[in-house]
Amino acid sequence: MGASQARTEHKYQDLADKTGLKKKRALTSICFMIMDFLLPHCSRENLDSIPALANNPIRKQIVEAFFDKRNQHQDEVGSFEEIGFEQFLMVMSHFRPPTLKTTEEEKEAMRKEKLRFLFNMHDTDNDGTITLAEYRKVVEELLSKSGAIGQEAAKAIADAAMLEVASTNVPHMAPDDFYEGITFEHFEQILKGLEMESRMHIRFLDVDTTTMHCGKSFS
Amino acid sequence: MLPFGLLLLSVVAAADLPGSAAPPLRGPRLGSSAPVPAAPPPPSAPPLLLLPQSREEYGAPGVASARSAAEEPAGPGQEEEGGQHHHGGGYRVVQWEWSYVQTPYIIAIWLLVASVAKILFHFSQRFTTVVPESCMLILLGLVLGGVVLIASKKQLYQLEPALFFLFLLPTIVGDAGYFMPARLFFDNLGAILTYAVVGTLWNAFCTGFCLYAAKLLGVIDERVQADLMDFLLFGALISAVDPVAVLAVFEEVHVNDMLFIIVFGESLLNDAVTVPPSSSSVVHRGDSGGFGVCCHPGLHHSRFTKKVRIIEPLFVFLLVYLAYLTAELFSLSAILSMTFCGIGANKYVEANISQKSRTTVKYTMKTLASIAETIIFIFLGISAVDKSKWAWDTGLVSCTLIFIFVFRAAGVIGQTWVLNRFRLVPLDRIDQVVMSYGGLRGAVAFALVVLLDGEQVKAKDYFVATTIVVVFFTVMFQFPPFSLHQLFDLTNLSDFVSEVNRVLIWKFNLQSDLVQVRFLSDVTLSAVAAMPAGKREGLTIKPLVKWLKVPRSTSRKPTINEEIHERAFDHILTAVEDIAGLQGYHHWRDKWEQFDKNYLSKLLLRKSVYRKSELWEAYQKINIRDAISVIDQGGNVLTSARLSLPSMASRASFPEVTNVTNYLRENGSGVCLDLQVIDNVPGAKVEEDTETHHVLAENLYKPRRRYQSHYSRHFMPLGEKERQDREVFQRNMKSRMETFKSTRHKRHKKERSLKKRRGSDVKEDGSDKPRRNVSWQDKNPVVVPVESEEDKGEHSDPEKEEDVGITFIARKTETPKQRPKSVPAALDGSQSPSADPPSPPSGDSHLPWKGSVGSPPPCVSVEATKIIPVDLQQAWNQSISSLESISSPPAPTEPVHPRGSFCFPEKKKEEEEEEEEAALQEIQPLMSTLRPPRGPAARRPPPPPPGSGPAPSGRRRNPCVYLRSLVMAPPPGSGEPHSRGPTQ
Repeated sequence: MGASQARTEHKYQDLADKTGLKKKRALTSICFMIMDFLLPHCSRENLDSIPALANNPIRKQIVEAFFDKRNQHQDEVGSFEEIGFEQFLMVMSHFRPPTLKTTEEEKEAMRKEKLRFLFNMHDTDNDGTITLAEYRKVVEELLSKSGAIGQEAAKAIADAAMLEVASTNVPHMAPDDFYEGITFEHFEQILKGLEMESRMHIRFLDVDTTTMHCGKSFS
Repeated sequence: MLPFGLLLLSVVAAADLPGSAAPPLRGPRLGSSAPVPAAPPPPSAPPLLLLPQSREEYGAPGVASARSAAEEPAGPGQEEEGGQHHHGGGYRVVQWEWSYVQTPYIIAIWLLVASVAKILFHFSQRFTTVVPESCMLILLGLVLGGVVLIASKKQLYQLEPALFFLFLLPTIVGDAGYFMPARLFFDNLGAILTYAVVGTLWNAFCTGFCLYAAKLLGVIDERVQADLMDFLLFGALISAVDPVAVLAVFEEVHVNDMLFIIVFGESLLNDAVTVPPSSSSVVHRGDSGGFGVCCHPGLHHSRFTKKVRIIEPLFVFLLVYLAYLTAELFSLSAILSMTFCGIGANKYVEANISQKSRTTVKYTMKTLASIAETIIFIFLGISAVDKSKWAWDTGLVSCTLIFIFVFRAAGVIGQTWVLNRFRLVPLDRIDQVVMSYGGLRGAVAFALVVLLDGEQVKAKDYFVATTIVVVFFTVMFQFPPFSLHQLFDLTNLSDFVSEVNRVLIWKFNLQSDLVQVRFLSDVTLSAVAAMPAGKREGLTIKPLVKWLKVPRSTSRKPTINEEIHERAFDHILTAVEDIAGLQGYHHWRDKWEQFDKNYLSKLLLRKSVYRKSELWEAYQKINIRDAISVIDQGGNVLTSARLSLPSMASRASFPEVTNVTNYLRENGSGVCLDLQVIDNVPGAKVEEDTETHHVLAENLYKPRRRYQSHYSRHFMPLGEKERQDREVFQRNMKSRMETFKSTRHKRHKKERSLKKRRGSDVKEDGSDKPRRNVSWQDKNPVVVPVESEEDKGEHSDPEKEEDVGITFIARKTETPKQRPKSVPAALDGSQSPSADPPSPPSGDSHLPWKGSVGSPPPCVSVEATKIIPVDLQQAWNQSISSLESISSPPAPTEPVHPRGSFCFPEKKKEEEEEEEEAALQEIQPLMSTLRPPRGPAARRPPPPPPGSGPAPSGRRRNPCVYLRSLVMAPPPGSGEPHSRGPTQ
């Protein structure tokens, strides 16, 4: 029994490390254990039914991202049927903000990680590139709530964006080349101008009872 | 000095002008003092009659003219030779009307001086990079003030609080509010509010109490009669950061956006905290309550100005200014109200007004603001010279300076420490240094202190002096006063500092952690800052910012990818917050956006506007931008043809955009669904020509056409530039669509084509908005038909497409409708020469350049639709209707052959010589007559033999034309007008 306990403890400490909550490692790992025990697993439908999400145009993609194994910091591919607290935490860890203490290298790593998350969200078929079709879909969904703009407009925008990627990354294409799609490197390149590390994060300051409640609402 | 000399010069010149211009002016006119130039009277008019008339006329506009008319008799000496005019003494042509024009004249002169000063300062790029404009302006003001003081013993010009608060300040704040990056502002609202409220209060009270303490301790002279309340009041005045100074300096320095918005936002908002000095010493000015009220009715109005475009810009100004005045009326915080009104106006009004109005607003705001700013600084300098207004006390001045700096720094550090616990993006030390250094005091403080009631505040004069010193010190000595690189070479300085750092690092055995190094730099910096003032001069915010490598702002426009992801971020973050059940910032922002979209925008924006998302706008802009770059690069760019589409079965490469059609022709399937196809195979030469034509047509701008000169006070003519933009845009769209179409070609089955076509029609509609104003002579119509045709013929034979660009115009232009008109005209023989050419030579149909040059506007007839297969009709109609709206009515003189004339290659040869002669004539008729056959009848593969079309020939008066028409006439089979359609 002692061995298994040690193993679980290790597991949660690992989890704490991976999610970047190194500070109070022992405490967090215990908390995680409890949470994991208490919180039931949830499925896509649970997430889908969150009322606050109803207005979000890219709801589907985000929900999908929670079930994507690629976002679990392991080299797995595929998607879960339902996720538990561990997976949920892993996904959430993509949104942690930098602190004053993070070094440049760490920031760079975080940035990459966040970009990877985004990239995975767009790259639905996991072939390492965001193809034109996939990109179109992204834009379409993004615009789906803004009324009169039709699919054609979305398509045109996506095409223009794709062209832009192609022209910035492969400025001199041989006449016979095609731009297959956005690879991760190109993706990084085009989003260089965005301060990812300062933008794509959420400060979980008041993570208190509301969060707990929400966890329960999964079931 | 130079500006001043200029000023004098201009004054002299202005004075001279009337005199020198006088001789030619003599005559029936009243002279240069008349506000309205008299219309030259008809020579035959009796002078006596003229005179009363003109007197009455001039009497109305202003006093001066009336007066000058009354004084006429007084100056007989200047009478001119024209004997007819002296009844009762005659006119004085020149007279000194200084008192009449004084006020506007002085204002204008001041504006002129300010602008000239600005221009001069920017002459030397190097100079301005080191010395900020604001100090130069203040120095100039000092000099000007000195000159005036010496000249008149009395300071004439002052920075009047009323002038400042009612006119100068609103322009600056309005500009700032209107162009405030709202998103950034609200994202940092927490920090801004903290600094503005807590920070200012802290500063005010600390400074006040400490000054009082200093007075008790005897540091401040006895003559300064002030009690605690006065000092508190003064502290409140002096501790507010000044928006004008912050704007002037920080915009020049280009710190990063966040830093700028925090300092600037603070300076705007702390106005609400500072004192309304006119009433005794209430520390809280009314809060922002009222600002909402002023905005809304006005915002709403702009929805309805569509018809009267020309007053749109005025709306923005009035709205914002009224908000300011209203707040001032209720002695609320006018700056605050104006800022928020500006933000609101930017969002809602700007979307409603036209692009031109937007530009107008932008430029006017910027012009006004920069002039106001210049004047403020100059006046600050001038006011400082007047000794009667202030009294000096060294103790007070130095104490105030020290306290201000100390408390500012302390306040910033303390608040930042607290804020950093909550902020997403922490403010690091560098930011703090810049922020505390950026605590500039300016004209607001000065104006407030001048407004103090001298009866109640005995020490007013001392306060004024102190304020002037503080303002000067912060504006000038926190910025490089004199050319910096001479005193203190920047590189040397940083070398020096890094040297110090190295020593420190070594000494304390610190890791070379970046943060620590930065901290050390700070230490060094403060050491340098503590140096005696003489050496310190070099240390200023600009080099400071550079040296500390404070992230500068980039003025880059976001790419469309960034736009897309920017929006995606918002949604992702909101969604994650929602999933986590967190009611965080993004949650509320999203809620606000929903509210805004559902209610506010609907209420305040035009229908056509609020539906468009920003993404779409961005796309439009980017599209135009890269269309321009496409042209710049000679058209050889990546197009979407080269993106790989998964659904494209057999992809082949398109080496060039223009070759797409060739490619299609080569690989096109044998099945030709297009009824208009002609099966002749053009010779190599013709093909080459076609190619050339395409290249030329696509890469050259159209020759400028006759200019429509046209004046209206209410409408502005379409600018050349706009037309060009439109052209560029169209071209870009066209090439894009072409390539897409080509890809679609392969992908789609026939049955899907209808649907698709509709889709593309939609697209076309969307994209043809810019085209709409094209005059009929423009080539643009050519483009339009091409697209619609292409859409329509998506599944058609690829070969067709190549010619489409050239041909289709003709088909559309030749309308049965026209025929009735043109036929009688032809019979009358009254056709204009251009109308003469009969059916164009068949050769022309193959030579696209001929066809497209000066092609008449497409005139679409209802009948044309008949030829179209039933299933296509609807789409065709749609595109036609869109075309119809574009094209103006066909030129009536154009003789259009009812029997479409067919052009065949063989004929072409014969016609060649004639064409030369009738080149001019050809242009229009050529186009109109040539149409690809449509409908089953049109399908006959070989071109009909020459001379088959007798009908049109009858009309021609011109022998050679006649001949030609005989030769060229279409075969009888093509008799139905609508089935006509030789491809060009």
